Amino acid sequence: MKHLPLWRHELRRAGWTACAAPAAALAVTLALTATAAAFGTARPQLERFLLTGLEALIPLAAGMAAVAVVSRDPSRELQLTLPTPYTTTLGRRLAVLGGLTATLAIAFSAALAAGGWWTGPGLPYAPLVWAAPLLWLTGLALLVAALGRSVVLATTTVAAIWLGEQLFAATFATTPGLRPFFLFMTTRIGVPTDWDANRAALAASGALLTALALMLLRRPERLLTEEET
Amino acid sequence: MTTLRQTWAVTRYEFRMQIRKRSLWITTATLAVVLTFSQGDRGPRHLPPGTPPREVMASWALLMALLLPIGFGMVLADRLTRDRRLGLASLLESLPIGRGALVAGKYLGGLTSTAVPAALVLLIAAAGETAHRHDPALFAWAAVAFVLVTLPGLAFVAAFALVCPLLTTAPLFRALFVGYWFWGNMLNPDLFPSLTGTLLTPLGDYPATWLMGERALYAGADGWLQFLRPEPGGAAAVAAIALLLALSIPPLALASPLLRRRNLSA
Repeated sequence: MKHLPLWRHELRRAGWTACAAPAAALAVTLALTATAAAFGTARPQLERFLLTGLEALIPLAAGMAAVAVVSRDPSRELQLTLPTPYTTTLGRRLAVLGGLTATLAIAFSAALAAGGWWTGPGLPYAPLVWAAPLLWLTGLALLVAALGRSVVLATTTVAAIWLGEQLFAATFATTPGLRPFFLFMTTRIGVPTDWDANRAALAASGALLTALALMLLRRPERLLTEEET
Repeated sequence: MTTLRQTWAVTRYEFRMQIRKRSLWITTATLAVVLTFSQGDRGPRHLPPGTPPREVMASWALLMALLLPIGFGMVLADRLTRDRRLGLASLLESLPIGRGALVAGKYLGGLTSTAVPAALVLLIAAAGETAHRHDPALFAWAAVAFVLVTLPGLAFVAAFALVCPLLTTAPLFRALFVGYWFWGNMLNPDLFPSLTGTLLTPLGDYPATWLMGERALYAGADGWLQFLRPEPGGAAAVAAIALLLALSIPPLALASPLLRRRNLSA
């Protein structure tokens, strides 16, 4: 309990908009599903769209929010003089964001399951529907943000890959080299036999990307972004 | 100093700041290269010899409109919010320039600075096509396609990218913008109710369809809000362009009061 004020502080420093992004993604999912239901869309389509909110929109929102968390801090120079490494502080803020996102995603999944709207895999694999693409997109966003030192570059990369995988879903689903990195396998294909391999590849490479990004962020000059210069 | 001169001054400075932004050029170049090499068999590179230059360049303009506006939206998302973040808002408030001129200048500067790389991409595509189609008219049609397909969508995106972050903040806008771009431009209206294929599609589907002489993507396809899905043609293309330009005005009109509220609460 003694660390609670510290985590509460990091929650505030992460920024309310960054933390609100996953909630906004789910709110948009619900609003669009309700609109579609009002226009007579069939139930299987609605179920698939609700799952899309988890598999596609939550990771997108978390990736964008992660860039915002690492790219801005008005007291960065002060942070760099403290005994606590700044990457630890950033790690805490990202953990707060991850924790919030996970809580929301689990609550949303549970609500879908309780209402009979869940079409993904059962427990214990259900969280991998959103967790694996989230880890991959967030890791990529952080790495590009650290390499390019630009919010625009990082967010555009995430956006382009997200849209690219949506647009060329058929190519990703049928090309052996791309299939392990297909972010939307559950909503576009379902749960085929290689679903767990896809999730494992996404999660492992996502963890690697995140680790690389955090290693780069240990160099203070990597924290100065184009928007501040 | 008249409002017009104030707007011109802000436009010039905004343009010069943006055009020197490294990320604007890197993202445009990367997206253009990715789109060029991943266009598939239906892309403009694979159009048979003898295809009219009008069709070739409209196809290029549409292809680039799939992703380039995403990068431009990301670039422009913090243009009005950053003044306060960098501590410049109160300084700008103290200047004789009005908020209206400031917003108009930032909009025009942002729009022109993102239009330059978009136009260059189309000119490079025209140069590449000229090399093996040997038709200099491709350059003229690149200009026409840019004005009809690219520019109206860019004007629409720039207005919302500039003003929406005042309400949502830039990070939240960027996340929502990507979702909107997919839902409002590319999501098949057969699968889910969306704005795809309506006159309100900033992708330039209607003008591209008109120039190509056949349905480019989903223009006019049956779906949600049927009254916004007329049969594609010259009149529908003009209506789509006019609607996009008209819809760019309300967010810009809202920007001044939003800025005032934001800066005075600092």
